[in-house]
Formats: sequence, structure tokens, C-alpha cells
Amino acid sequence: MTTTLNQKDILKRGAIWAFILVELAFFAIVGDAMSVSSKAFLSVDNMLLLLKQSAPIGIIALGMTIVMINGNIDLSVGATFALAAVVLLDSMTWPFMQALGDWAIPLAWGFALLTGVVLGAINGLIVWKTGVDAFIVTLASMLGFRGLVFMYNGEQPTSHLNWTLVDFAEAQFLGLHTATWFLLGAALILWLLMTKTVHGRNAYAIGNNREAAVNAGIRVGPHFVLNFMLIGFLAALSAVVFYSESGSVNPNDGMLYELWAITAVVLGGTKLAGGYGSIISTLGGVIAIQLLRKGLGHIGADTQTVNLVIGLILIGVLILDRQLNRKGQEELKI
Amino acid sequence: MNLTRKMALACTTAVLGTAAAAETMTIGITQNNVGVDSYQTTYEKAFIAAAEADPDVEVVVLDAGGDVARQIAQVEDLIQQEVDAIIIWPTNGEAVIPAVRKAHQADIPVVVTNSNIAEAGFDFIASFSGPDNITQGSRAAEIMCDKFKDMGIEDEAGIVQISGQPGYTTAIERAKGFEDRLPEVCPNVTLMETQPGDWNREKAQQVMEAFLVKYDDIDGVYAGDDNMGVGALNAVKAAGRDGIIFVGATNFAVGYEAMAAGDYWGSIYQSPVDDAEAALQTAIDILNGEDVPFLNYFDTPKITQDNMGEFTKPVF
Amino acid sequence: MAQLNKTEIGAFLAKQGILIAFAAFMIGFALANQRFIELDNVFGVIRSSAILGVMALGVTFVVIGGNLDLSVGSMMSFSTIVVLDLHDKLGPGLAILAMFALTLALGAFIGFLVGYLKLNSLIVTLGMLSAIHGLTLTWSGGKNMDIADKSGTWFSVFGQERVMGIPVPILIFALLAVALSLLLSKTPFGRKVYAVGGNGQAATFSGIPRARVVFLTYIVSAFCVATAGLLQASRSLGSQNTVGQGMELEVLAAVILGGASLMGGAGTVFKTVIGVLILGFIQNGLLLVGLDFYVQYIVTWIIIILAVWLDVAAKRGRLWSPIA
Repeated sequence: MTTTLNQKDILKRGAIWAFILVELAFFAIVGDAMSVSSKAFLSVDNMLLLLKQSAPIGIIALGMTIVMINGNIDLSVGATFALAAVVLLDSMTWPFMQALGDWAIPLAWGFALLTGVVLGAINGLIVWKTGVDAFIVTLASMLGFRGLVFMYNGEQPTSHLNWTLVDFAEAQFLGLHTATWFLLGAALILWLLMTKTVHGRNAYAIGNNREAAVNAGIRVGPHFVLNFMLIGFLAALSAVVFYSESGSVNPNDGMLYELWAITAVVLGGTKLAGGYGSIISTLGGVIAIQLLRKGLGHIGADTQTVNLVIGLILIGVLILDRQLNRKGQEELKI
Repeated sequence: MNLTRKMALACTTAVLGTAAAAETMTIGITQNNVGVDSYQTTYEKAFIAAAEADPDVEVVVLDAGGDVARQIAQVEDLIQQEVDAIIIWPTNGEAVIPAVRKAHQADIPVVVTNSNIAEAGFDFIASFSGPDNITQGSRAAEIMCDKFKDMGIEDEAGIVQISGQPGYTTAIERAKGFEDRLPEVCPNVTLMETQPGDWNREKAQQVMEAFLVKYDDIDGVYAGDDNMGVGALNAVKAAGRDGIIFVGATNFAVGYEAMAAGDYWGSIYQSPVDDAEAALQTAIDILNGEDVPFLNYFDTPKITQDNMGEFTKPVF
Repeated sequence: MAQLNKTEIGAFLAKQGILIAFAAFMIGFALANQRFIELDNVFGVIRSSAILGVMALGVTFVVIGGNLDLSVGSMMSFSTIVVLDLHDKLGPGLAILAMFALTLALGAFIGFLVGYLKLNSLIVTLGMLSAIHGLTLTWSGGKNMDIADKSGTWFSVFGQERVMGIPVPILIFALLAVALSLLLSKTPFGRKVYAVGGNGQAATFSGIPRARVVFLTYIVSAFCVATAGLLQASRSLGSQNTVGQGMELEVLAAVILGGASLMGGAGTVFKTVIGVLILGFIQNGLLLVGLDFYVQYIVTWIIIILAVWLDVAAKRGRLWSPIA
């Protein structure tokens, strides 16, 4: 039983990377023939750029993986992302912050990250204390948090361009961009958290079977709150990394990010029902989506094709996943 | 069709080889949000058509889908593909500045189209090509005021405004132009309330329905574009109210028709075809080493029921 | 369980909490601004809510059946664009028929994936949200779609006319609500929807064809979406491709506010109608008292949490959740 499970695991975890290889091959061959650019799609620079561009959704998707493993979901991350960005950029214009010079930067980062953690804690506490489903709680707070974004600065964008910050965000260390370091760093830490710590094991256990977890003496509520704080933190981190480089946030920014993050997580094989999933595979899911976008742009596909292809591929992967998992489960009843 | 064009272009390049390649210029464009309304779609088609008409130009056409992160990624991609010039229709006039600086540092000239970037980025762009949205807003105020003077209600009229999508430069500039100019020409007209209609006809209709309930006496409606203006008009018709003066911006075909029917008073005539061709031409001129004005506005005249005969009906 | 008697009254109150909250809310706003309850305004709000409402009726079936439908907004723009485009090519009657057929085909496709292939409905409909949007843009070429001769068509009857003084969209919304309410509460099919959503496994063992019932809930949903598209198209006789975008979450909010459980097996058409009206009147009421548009987001947030909380609290007989 365990051996078959492992085989299936390897097959499943390999699937997303196999998909990425197919994409790479397709865009390298077809893409280069169709593109007007003389630069090869598969160049090292382009692949480094791919990693960097995966960061905004990617960092959020890492957090979504944990929340989903835990058996919950968070639809409010796009709004959290926007509010953290507003706090980041606005706080740097406060008088006492300006007096600090460049030391204001780490402090502004701190404020933004704190915002994310607090918003996450609000979601987590509501889920815990009211027992209302996380989908509903975060669907509602998606609206509420977006309202807070508008309340902060009306319909105006919030802007603060700080070139020190931009230079830092655009820097490359050992060839990798700053955003890539944050993405990979967050992935590594979360992977350690989920595989090597008690909290990680408990998160899987709760997602797998909440009753059993409770019977085993695991306190479910605090784990919920912690994981929501974590995803709030990561949504804010994503904002910090992205807006350090761009310096202006529209109140509508981050809309639909929750859906893209969930898509990436599901492509990576994490179960919506909870109890199963992997941080590394989510990274694969994020890269697969960004690669698809980049590649379709490279060959000059138009908006409708991009929408159509992305939607159908998502369903296609789900069908494939179903086929891989069907062994040993109940027969389809048609 | 898009793909065949690319194939054809790729084949041409291959056949002509390196000698001709030196002559060809590759221009990349990243647009704001194609498909959100007819204006942007018509713009894209006109841009591609203009590029096809010029044998020396190859274009990479991208769409940011309204997402600033995606747009920045597209600018990076274009730099990476070593295009000769980049045209950008900013999703956010400030957030794209660092990306534009990157292109500038890579010695790729950047032309901003349709909606300008903030002044902090002016050092990094070669030119702006597009309409002057502030002027459009003030012209709309003048149209409204002139009509009120004709009607003799310039001292008592009350109006409402339906603005574009919150946070977008064009929406902000048009509202600002209108709100600044109105008190100068008609100091006694009151702007009772402004609500966003998100460039969306249905949303504008809902907003107008609420206005109609809230205010017994509305003399004029200023909408950030005709699409929303017609939505507001639909609400007014459904409620059976009349005598309300509608002024919009970016004259859409539906706005033009409503004007012809006498329901809609005026707007600002702005052609996406002019917009697209001006942007492409600006980029080509820069690559050919010609002098181009830094702020390359194309004219967007007033259009009202009185002078609409001078304009052809918009195609979008 | 033992303290059921003690909490019976509280439970009843909580169960009808949504109605009580609605009444309190209406009275509050009526006191703040008289216009709020004038017939014109009430009709106006219901008419504006009718499109969202019709979609919510269909999604209620899907949700009671234990699934989600995030594609309704995208599908509604498809229906609207298609019927407007075909109006000038086939004439109004055929255009409506063709549009219903195409929308039902999309619904059948989703129903097949979720019902027969048992794929996760959240992801399937998320994928369809994107794919159908692509389809709409392909159909229209990204252009706004307008009926050429706006005054010379009877097509406007669904969205703009009145019958016996009542706007037609309200009549259609009401008729559909009554019909679907009967379908859900009085027919074997309705009982099967509850059974499948309440406990899919048990339903299968008791001989209920789960796949077919789920498939049919998506057909009902698609039918409602097509009706909403018809109302939308008829109302404005022209549309842009973004119409309906983002409505899926508003629709879901209305259904949830009405008390349909996302776990499936609970909810009624009537309560969904109340949920729709609450959202509509909140938006209208806040606008009337002159609050900024974003206040409605924050108010909606709080109201949804409170309403659902009361509902689950009533079901479990205690306010705070038992989660340790």
C-alpha cells in the first residue's frame, strides 16, 4: 500500500515538472519559429526573468498551499496585497519616516508586513471563533479589505518612488533578481516548516481529518489562525517585493490574484479538501502559469487565445490528475 | 490571423536575411487592457494595420490585461528580446516608471501612448503620444457650460459626474480637468456628486438610477466616456425623466447615435485609429533620428449636436 | 442537544435572523431617508437587482447540490454579447433561441465535467471563467456589441417595458423565483438535489443518480444565466465584453447571505431572493445617504459574516464555534 502511494506521489509530483518541460520544448521550437524576436526563448537571461516574474503570485501561492493543506482557503489575499502596498508606500511619506532617511525603508517594510499579519489574524480568528467556513469568511473579507484600501486613499493611486528601494529591488545577486531570492527563500522556509516541524505535521493532520486531529489532542483553532497570519504575511511580502520596484499602487491592484494563486496551487497537485500538497509542487505550478503567459506573449497570441488556453489547460490538468488518481477509488458512475 | 501574420513576418525576415534586417525596426507595444472596451480593441487593430502597411516595421503586440505586474513583466520581456523601441499604454502612470527606466538604461527609446506617465518618469521616455485628458475634461466643462448658458440656467443648474475606473490616470485627469474648469466658466453650477462608473455602461446605469432617486433636479451629467454616458442616458429614459444635458468624452458610436437622435448633447471626439497611428509614427520617427515633440498631443475636438455633421461616425 | 428547549426561541430567532436583519435594515434606512421606500426607488432597486437575482436563483441549485459556480459572470457576458450580435443577423426570436441553446451547451459542458467526470467544481468553473471570457472576446472581436436599430425592435420588452405598472425584469425575476422554488421544494428532482448535496455518498447508495442530478443543476444555472443575459441585453440594447465580469462573487455572496450552505444540502430559493434584495438595498441605501461607494464593501463584509454566523450558530445551538 505504501509503495503504491509513493509511486503515485512521485508520478503526481513529477507531473507538473513534466508539464513545464513540455511547455519549454514547445515554446523553444514553435515559439522561436513564430516570434519576430531573434533572441532565443530558452536563453538563461529569459529563464532568470521568468523566475523573477513568478514572484508576485508565487509568494502568495506558497501561503495558499499551507492554508489549503490545512483544509481552508483564502480569497482575500488580493485585497491584503493591495492594502499592504498602500501602507508600504504611504508610510514612507509620513513626516517622522522621512526624517529617518533610508532607514525608513525597513520600517515601512515592517508596517506593511504587520498589516498583512493583522488582516490574516482577523480572518483566522473569525474562522476559528465563529466556525463559519473559510471560503465564506474570506469571500466577505475580500470585499471588506478592498473597501479599506479605498477608504485609505479614495480612488487615487498611492505613490512613493524611492530610487534606493528601486535599485535594491532591481539588483541581481549571483544572477538571481531580488524578487527571485525572496520567492526561493520563502519557499525553502515554508518547505522546512511544513516537512520538519510539528506545526507542519499538524497542519496536514488537520486538513486530512479534523475529527481525528482533535481526538489526537491537536488544537485546531490556533493552527488555523497561525496559517492565516502566515498567508497574510506572505501576501504582504509579495506586495513589499513588488511595490519596492514599482512605487505606486492603484486601489484595484491585486484583483483576481486569489484566483491565480489557487490555480497555481491546484496545478501543483494540492488537494482542495486539504491534507495533501507540497510547497515545491506549488512552485512548479506558479512557474508553469508564468511560462505559459510568457510563451504565449512570445509567439504573439492575442488576449482571447491566452484566456481560452489558460482556462482549458486548467481543466485539462484536472482531468489528467483525475486519471492518475482513479486507481483504487470508486468507479465512475455514468 | 494574428499567427499567420507573425509567420509571414518571420519568413520575410528569414528570406531577406541579415542585409535587410538592418533596415527593419522591431517595435514592441504593451497595452493596458484590450477587449475591455471597443476603444482599446480598435486601437490594437489600427496599430497592427499601420505596422503591416509599413514594410520596414515589425511589431510585438502585448496586452497587460489591466494588471500592472503583468505589464512590468512585458516591458522586461521586450527589453530581453532587444526590440528597437517600446510603446507603453500604462496601466498605472507611476508604477511603470522603474520598468521604463530599465528600458532607458538598455538604450531602448520608450514612447508612452494614450495615458501619460507621471513627471518623475519624463527623463526616461522619448515622447508621449496621445490625447490631452486634462484639456478634454476642461473642454467637456465648457460644452456643458455653454449649453446651460443657451438654456439660461447657468446660475442654478446642478449636475452629477460619473467618472471612469477608480485609480486610472485617464479617469483622474478627465475628472480633474472638468472639476477645475467648470467653476471658471460657470461658477454657479454645482457639481452635486461624483461616483465611479468604472468605464462600464451597466455600472453607470446603476449609479445614475441612484442619482435620479436621490436628486429631484438634475440638469446635467458629465460622464468620463460615452460608454458610461449612454448607460446614464438609459437610466434616465427608463425613469421617464427628460431635459437632462449629457456630456461625455471619447465619442463612441453609441454616443454619436444618441446625439443624432437628440438625446445626448456633446462629447469629445477622439479616434483610436489616430491614437494608434500617432504612437507608431512617433516611435518610427524617433528611430529614424527625427525630432519629435516631447508631448505629442493629437487634437481631440469638441463634438456636439450642433457640429456633429463635420465628424464621421466613430467605428467603435 | 439536551439544551434544545432552552435555546429553541433563540434558535428560531437566529434562523429567521436574515429576515429580521432585513426588516431592521429597511426601517433604519427608511427613517434616514424617506425616498428609500418610495415605490419608484423600490422598483428601481429590484429591477437593478433582477439580473444578479436571476443568476443567484440558478447558483442556489448548484450550491445546494454541493458545488460552486464561478463561471456565471463570464457566461452572462457571453450570453449578452451573443444575443446582441445575433439580433441583427437572425432577428430577435431566433437570436434568443440560439443564445439559450449556446448557453445551455456551456452549462452542459460544465455539468458533464463536474457531474459525470466528478472534477472539482471550484477549479472547473474557475477555468471556465477564463475560457468563456476568451470565447466571448473571440465572438465579438473585442468590440462593443450594439443593436443597430434601437427603437425599431420589440427586443427591448424584457428589459425596459412595464406590465400592469410593474417593470418586466421584476416580473421575470419573480416568475422564475416562484417556478424554481416549486421545482426545488415540490418535485422529486428538488428532493434529489438536497439529497445529493447533503450527503453525496449516501445518495448514491440509495439509488439517486448523483451525476445526473449535478449535471442538471448546472443546466438550471445556465438557463438562469441565459435569462440574465437576455435581461441585460434587452435593457441596454448594447454591451461591452466586460459586462457581468466579477459578478460571480457577488452572486455567490447573495446566495450565501440567503443561507445556502457551501457544504451543500441546505438553502431555499426564497432565502436567496432575500439575500439578493439585501445586497441591492444596501448598495442603494448607502448611495442615498451619500456615503462613498466603498462603504458598501465594508458593510457587506460585516453583514455576510454576521448573517452566516447567526445561521450556523442556530444550527449548532451555541454562539461560539466548538473548534478547540
